[in-house]
Amino acid sequence: MHLSINGVVRELTPDPIESLADTLRTRLHLTGTKVSCERGECGSCTVLLNGRVVYACLTITNACEGAEVTTIEGLAVPGGLHPVQRAFIDHDAVQCGFCTPGQVLAAVALLAATPVPDESEIRRAMSGNLCRCGTYPRIVAAIRAAAGQVQEPSHAG
Amino acid sequence: MPADPTRRFVTTTIEIEGREETKVVEMPDRAMEPWDDGVRLDIVGQPVPRVDARDKVTGSAVYTVDRWLPGMLYAVLVRSNIPRGRAKVINLDDARRVPGFVDAIVFDDLPKDGKPIRAGGVRFLDPDISYAGQPLACVCAESLKQARAAARRVHIEYDAEPFAATAAQAVAPGAPSVRSRGGNVSRSSPMIAARGDADSALAGADVVVRIRCTTPSALHSAMEPHGAVAEWRGDQVTIHEGTQGIFAVRDEVAAALGMPKSHVRVVMDHMGGGFGAKNHAGAHTYAAALLARRTGRPVRCILERAAEQSDAGHRAPATIDVALGAERDGRLTAIVADALVDQGISGWESSTTKIFHELYACPNVKTTETFAYTNTHAMAAFRGPGHTEGAFALERAMDELARTLGMDPLALRVANYAAHDQEKSRPYSGGNLKGCLEEGARRFGWADRQNRGQIRFSQTESTAAASGLRKIESDPDSGHVKRGFGLAAQIWPAGGGPPAYATVRIHPDGSVDVLSGTQDLGTGARTILAQVAAEALGAKLADVRVILGDTERTPFAPNSWGSMTTPSVAPAVRMAAEEAREQLVEAASEILGIPVEHLTIRDGMVVPCTGAPAVPISDITAKLGEVTITGNGSRGPNQPGVGLMTFGAQFAEVEVDTWTGVVRVIRLTAVHDVGRVLNPLLARSQLEGGIIQGIGLALFEERIIDESLGVPLNAGLHEYKIPTMADIPEIDASCLDTVDTVANPVGARGLAEPPIIPTAPAIANAVADALGVQLNDLPLTPWRVLAALADL
Repeated sequence: MHLSINGVVRELTPDPIESLADTLRTRLHLTGTKVSCERGECGSCTVLLNGRVVYACLTITNACEGAEVTTIEGLAVPGGLHPVQRAFIDHDAVQCGFCTPGQVLAAVALLAATPVPDESEIRRAMSGNLCRCGTYPRIVAAIRAAAGQVQEPSHAG
Repeated sequence: MPADPTRRFVTTTIEIEGREETKVVEMPDRAMEPWDDGVRLDIVGQPVPRVDARDKVTGSAVYTVDRWLPGMLYAVLVRSNIPRGRAKVINLDDARRVPGFVDAIVFDDLPKDGKPIRAGGVRFLDPDISYAGQPLACVCAESLKQARAAARRVHIEYDAEPFAATAAQAVAPGAPSVRSRGGNVSRSSPMIAARGDADSALAGADVVVRIRCTTPSALHSAMEPHGAVAEWRGDQVTIHEGTQGIFAVRDEVAAALGMPKSHVRVVMDHMGGGFGAKNHAGAHTYAAALLARRTGRPVRCILERAAEQSDAGHRAPATIDVALGAERDGRLTAIVADALVDQGISGWESSTTKIFHELYACPNVKTTETFAYTNTHAMAAFRGPGHTEGAFALERAMDELARTLGMDPLALRVANYAAHDQEKSRPYSGGNLKGCLEEGARRFGWADRQNRGQIRFSQTESTAAASGLRKIESDPDSGHVKRGFGLAAQIWPAGGGPPAYATVRIHPDGSVDVLSGTQDLGTGARTILAQVAAEALGAKLADVRVILGDTERTPFAPNSWGSMTTPSVAPAVRMAAEEAREQLVEAASEILGIPVEHLTIRDGMVVPCTGAPAVPISDITAKLGEVTITGNGSRGPNQPGVGLMTFGAQFAEVEVDTWTGVVRVIRLTAVHDVGRVLNPLLARSQLEGGIIQGIGLALFEERIIDESLGVPLNAGLHEYKIPTMADIPEIDASCLDTVDTVANPVGARGLAEPPIIPTAPAIANAVADALGVQLNDLPLTPWRVLAALADL
């Protein structure tokens, strides 16, 4: 099968029910995608599949033939950071950082769909991404700051 | 610093999470001028972004779970599904037939020389079972999928025995024996502490209130589970482990495997949260190390989420009976508390009653505390252990006292302000609970809270409507949505202490390494240590790199626990940087031909006060070439006769829906006194993080054990609820502008644990205020709220 991952087409032979998270981490060593629960409960493994947010731990790689996948490694534009990444740094929307890749990608997808979300829209869109350190108020601040200066991720469909 | 310059080694006292440790430590050979209020600091105190934030937002930060080593095997622990008894047969035959299977170990395969290995409070892989989830075997295979398949095919025959799932069951007459060795309560139980004559004072008090409070087993639930990756080279092992204490893990592994400490290297770069659960080596560590030695290949053992939520530590649940006696004017005359704490199968005595002796002025205090063992997994320190549970009971009781007296809850606390350490009759190094209460009340608008509440309400309503939530009735107090306000206070030892060491070295190009064997759990330790080093050296922050977490290559620093990293390690880093700066000035003097006393270093430049042009540090170090400037620093002893405590106060506004029982926190104000804030951006994050975990403890979080089966029922992040973004109120978190150079020359105390301590009681007090009914059992779930209302 073929997948476009961060703009590069990959030929893969995943196991029949291999998860996309497993493919990314174990097969391709793209370890920026984190796995925390493996049951779709925490959002750590959030990636963009054709521009939509999915939990990679619940996504079967074989069902993604021809899809475009954006992981955290593919988000930064050459020579710089994605505006959402920049805002996460500036507003300290990061503590341990383990949930951060998923949070950043969920925020990117939110802003692609709703360029200037209000606070309740942010809260609803981001509620599927748990953070045990409690960076939520900073994430809200970062997303608000990034709103309006965000473009479609370069590899998303 | 103790005054006597002739003594090289002195005895000092350190308080870690309520435990006092006495240590003999070497006096540093350098003195540091305290960074007092008047000292100009350019980098320390600035809200600079985290130095590792870029790595974290780009996915390039490497965690233990991201370590892939060539030839690595995957190990999975096989666990008991009964709480007590014996695994009489562990049959590995089917497991061995799974494709990819490589090796397995059970208790009989462990090294027989030396003492048995202990993990999680029991013997590693002990077939004598004392809790559900206890590891009994470990299998490893070429892939994780294969290892899991093999683990499922390990067949275990059990002899089940009676068990005790709760502390009440464990201490009841005729209770089954919980442990194979030792009784059902800890050796020091009951732990009694008293001053004055509390019983008589209570009997003679004008006003007495009595309440019983319970706090739940809360699970740390770090996003990165516990895990280790082990690799042997000859007779030496390297262990990658996401731990709060690389040296603790090293020491425990060396002891368990009978190896010199020099042959065990523990490495930790980034870790996905700890919160107290990751202070020691665990079954996963020993499994990885032993299987790697047997197979000659690297082995990783990472807990699955269900194991993380059922055998990786928890906040010990407590039942606390409190009686307060007071004069009519509100002054406390007696505090009596009796606590029963459920440790699980093992743990340390994290006192829930110590705070009763500390927080408020009272001449007569008596506490009695029993630590019971139960057939559930072992407790572990969880952010503010003991004090968080105790603060809930004490602060709930204080509010009931205020209600009984018809007194404002804030006024009652101010009336009982303790300006010094009553238990040890000594002053505090700094810190000011009264200041926190007053500033918090001002920021929250406590005096005018009813009016402010109404104003705030209309905003909440519009937010709710915009988000599509059910519209709340416009007048909460006449409708089914009730509004309430509450506050609570906090005290916590956070002074740190020795030993802690650091090295600063300057490369020929002027770039700087700071080395210290501490850990950054997500706290921001890397960043504040870089700031301290840059400040003390006169370097640019961007030129400083902080290297942590390697027992072989970084000097010793303590576990990152007890809010002690900042006050322990930052002074050592400062001293190392000052020694390097002194050498740099001397070298510059020689190279530039300017006397030492005419040179200063600031912002990466060597600046002569003679009017000669400033020279970049890199020009000096380039001329030195490989002649390397290296400074060493260590943490000096704590001053005797001083209490090193943090203080804080939090104020909450809640809405309670009396139809559904749902509690919503609307806003929360926190003011803490932690001494100098080294980085206000990161400090606010840590305060908010503690408060948000406190909201979880207040409203959602409770591990549930099926009392008939003795197994946990909610070992997952769906069933065990931690706060999500939708649950978070408006939080106003800040610190008083203080500097504590009595505590250490940097002027900072710890900040990590204090913010969780008063959150749950502040919320519960607000709920009681809203409903006019006490809720003394955490978490305040809708069911508990509705039950309390039904009892009216």
